[in-house]
Amino acid sequence: MRARKKTETGANTGKLVQALDRIIGTVLPQYTALVLVLVFCVVAIVGSFVMRDLETANTSAENMYRVSVQGLLQVGEMQYFAQETRRATLYALTTNDSNLQLDYADQTRDADRQVTRAIADYRHEADMPGQVELANRLSRDWAEYLSIRDEVLASILEGSTKEAVTLDLSGGVPSFERVKQDLNEVRQLYDQQASQRLANVVATSRRSALRLIGTLGFTFLLSMGAVWAIQRSRMLGAIQLAKLQMDFVASVSHELRTPLAVLNSAADNIADGLVTGKTEIQRYGAMIRNQSRQMNELVEQILLFASADDRSERYVFEPLTVNQILDAVEKSTKELVDGSGVVIERRVEPDLPPVMGDLPAIILCLRNLVGNAVKYGSSENKWIGLTASRGVSANRTHEEVLISVSDRGMGIDRLELAHIFDPFYRSPRVVNMQIHGTGLGLSLAKRIAETMGGDLTVVSEISVGSSFTLHLPALERNEVEMRPASAQPTSLPQR
Amino acid sequence: MTRFLKFVAGLGLAAVLLALVSREAARCATPTSANPDAITEPLAIIVNRSNTISDLSTAELRHIFLGDRSHWPSGRRITLVMREPGEPERKCMLHDLYQMSESDLKNHFLHGLFTGDILVSPKILATAVGVRKFVFNVPGAIGYVRLSDVDGSVKVLRVDELLPDDRGYRLKLEISGAKQDARAKEN
Repeated sequence: MRARKKTETGANTGKLVQALDRIIGTVLPQYTALVLVLVFCVVAIVGSFVMRDLETANTSAENMYRVSVQGLLQVGEMQYFAQETRRATLYALTTNDSNLQLDYADQTRDADRQVTRAIADYRHEADMPGQVELANRLSRDWAEYLSIRDEVLASILEGSTKEAVTLDLSGGVPSFERVKQDLNEVRQLYDQQASQRLANVVATSRRSALRLIGTLGFTFLLSMGAVWAIQRSRMLGAIQLAKLQMDFVASVSHELRTPLAVLNSAADNIADGLVTGKTEIQRYGAMIRNQSRQMNELVEQILLFASADDRSERYVFEPLTVNQILDAVEKSTKELVDGSGVVIERRVEPDLPPVMGDLPAIILCLRNLVGNAVKYGSSENKWIGLTASRGVSANRTHEEVLISVSDRGMGIDRLELAHIFDPFYRSPRVVNMQIHGTGLGLSLAKRIAETMGGDLTVVSEISVGSSFTLHLPALERNEVEMRPASAQPTSLPQR
Repeated sequence: MTRFLKFVAGLGLAAVLLALVSREAARCATPTSANPDAITEPLAIIVNRSNTISDLSTAELRHIFLGDRSHWPSGRRITLVMREPGEPERKCMLHDLYQMSESDLKNHFLHGLFTGDILVSPKILATAVGVRKFVFNVPGAIGYVRLSDVDGSVKVLRVDELLPDDRGYRLKLEISGAKQDARAKEN
């Protein structure tokens, strides 16, 4: 039971990996740059969030420091100036010199102004209920002390030292003690608030750190995922290419081996004297010629494909009429078409303009298309359409001549349409049906079309048929007149 | 003969005293016929702002400044504030209010303190600013400063219902250019 479950899980994982590979193989090769931009955007967004978070934490810490330190400094100043107020008053008691007593009176009043202002600031800034109550009490106690201090000061200045001392002991000392107590409470309250703010800052910093770790982890995973996907995509591409090449080698081997076997067998029969009579020898000769020609065509196609990239300079471009092209194609494929019993229906739109191109290359391109139509066409409805019409280029800059080769065969799957022009690509369906081929024909045809300054497109539907269209740029009348009658090697027309 | 000699000596002393008084009066007065170019400045009598008194007669003021009256109607003890001997303000007060000499004033206070008629001796302060600050700090204090030394921290009393700026105000101090310079330095 457990083993079965394990097998099911493995199968599911395999399916998941396959689906993932399909997505990666389909999307990433085309959108690698987009994926990288996406990853960059995500990293940038995450980075901005992290920066904002850190900034908030820093602001909180700064506020905490500012409020706490300033508050403690304010309390410290209040305590200092309150002591200074009292000290200057008591110093006035130590002298009988009225002028000196007045100096002390000035000092005590300067100091009390500082305390009064600081208390007013504290009351103004107080926002919590306990703080407001404490600020009001401090203000009240300080005012009470100041009124007694004024009396004491007046007594000192009047010269009534004894009266001043009595007044100070009975009223000044207790009221100043109350002020001191209030200031201590203010300090304690600031300490509590500072502790609370510190705790808040610590909590904020911890949250920021966790968010930072989370976002960095997420970014790291995302980046790793993107890198992995890109690498996987490249690996899948390489694997696919290697597989295609292996298939190609196998296919070519098979294509060569069949005629070789026929040739070998024919040679053995002739050598062993089994073939006698003129008719027999003629039949064997025709067979050897056909097989040799088939092998030659195959090798030529491979060589053509291999040299297609740098072949454009060797093409001879000349003005060609559509009928000239179609005649040559029909002539070239006559043996193949006749042998397979297919009927070619030719339809040409009247007054088509000539095209500029290399006739042998165009024939090769169209022969590939006709060969495919014969190979993959319907066995019941043996029909091939060869049509020529007028069209406009995709970017609507110039006129085109469209030569289409259509069949009513098996058609091509919609998902496969994107790959049929890839070198070595062969549809799994045709491989399963054991239809021979190299996977180079369409790729070669498309390269030739592009080298001629045109294109090769396809429209297909399963079980309905396919239509391949060669787009060739049309020559304008003045271009035709200006060109010499004889064909000369020329470069690709610039479009 | 002895009587005659005593009479003559008395007359001589009276003449000297009269001459001295005349000279001092001339010094403290507004421009007079004797010294028409002299510049005068009123001398303000100042009390603490909490003091309810705002008007005193010259006689009451004299009583207070002689220490004959020790408490305000509110019950507050009166504290006299004076400038040091030799200062123009004190000289003016001696002439215009006390109408006695410096030594007589000293003797008066020594006698009063000795006999217990005067409870607290006057406070002597070096500067006008000191006088003003003292009055500001002590609710029962009374002192005198030039009108230009007065600010909002103290209250100026009317004397015989006249403020220092009013015409006919008696307490006026004669100042010269040199003295003005000295005051500027003091301030």
